Amino acid sequence: MQGDSYPENAFELFGEIIQWVEDYLAHSADSLRVELQLLYLNTSSIKAMMDIFDLLEDAHVKGCAVSVKWHYDKRNERLAELAEEFKEDCTFPFLIASHE
Amino acid sequence: MHSPDLYALRENFNRERIMLCFNGPISRSLIEEIGNALKNYLAADQALPAAALDVFAAYIEMTQNIRHYVARRGYPEVETAATVVISRDERGRYIVSAGNLVEVGDGHAVMSRINALATLDKAALKAVYKEQLRKPRDPALTGGAGLGLLDIARKASEPLQAALIEHGDDRAFFSLRAVI
Repeated sequence: MQGDSYPENAFELFGEIIQWVEDYLAHSADSLRVELQLLYLNTSSIKAMMDIFDLLEDAHVKGCAVSVKWHYDKRNERLAELAEEFKEDCTFPFLIASHE
Repeated sequence: MHSPDLYALRENFNRERIMLCFNGPISRSLIEEIGNALKNYLAADQALPAAALDVFAAYIEMTQNIRHYVARRGYPEVETAATVVISRDERGRYIVSAGNLVEVGDGHAVMSRINALATLDKAALKAVYKEQLRKPRDPALTGGAGLGLLDIARKASEPLQAALIEHGDDRAFFSLRAVI
């Protein structure tokens, strides 16, 4: 996933993605790697992203190999701070990678 | 003198160092268009990326809060009017302000919430923010996460300032000002 996200009701936008992640982890999956390059997220989108990270965390606790790689432009430290705040609540591998 | 007096209006904008302003019913698409203009202005102004993102975030959260409020109260379209101003203070800091009509009781409630937030330092604001983030969605919030004010308060360099102007009926004008 990449880009900005600031719809008024992010749950409408993220609902299908959250559902997909939930279904994928509940069935078939023994691993899931999530690559993110997110820019601005409004608070509604942040809440939706937290739902996704919570699903990943649950799967991780059950032994599924989940991981997140969060790419950000090193000129904007806010994007790293946003990633750090999500990472605080996760125990699975969560790499925050800066790029020129 | 013509009415409206554009010259006086322009002088006022210049004096208040207003970069961008809007007054009128605010739609979803308008928020996006004005937001795009704001991004371009901030880039042209050579704002640091972090500051530009904070200003943009405060603008989005304030205007979306107004839209959520209007939806929750079921106000007709013509009453969704918002006044939005992005300016700079004498020290060059960005100021994001927005105001709208509210029910007087709602106005007092949000004023006391803002006054309570003003007593919190950044660490306490983060704790309250994280607690709110963990709360289940309230269907009455029509998609809002109840995080907007907290997010703005965390990004602001001073406590949020708010004003409530009552005009004797059931409605009052609520305005919020964030220094980034």
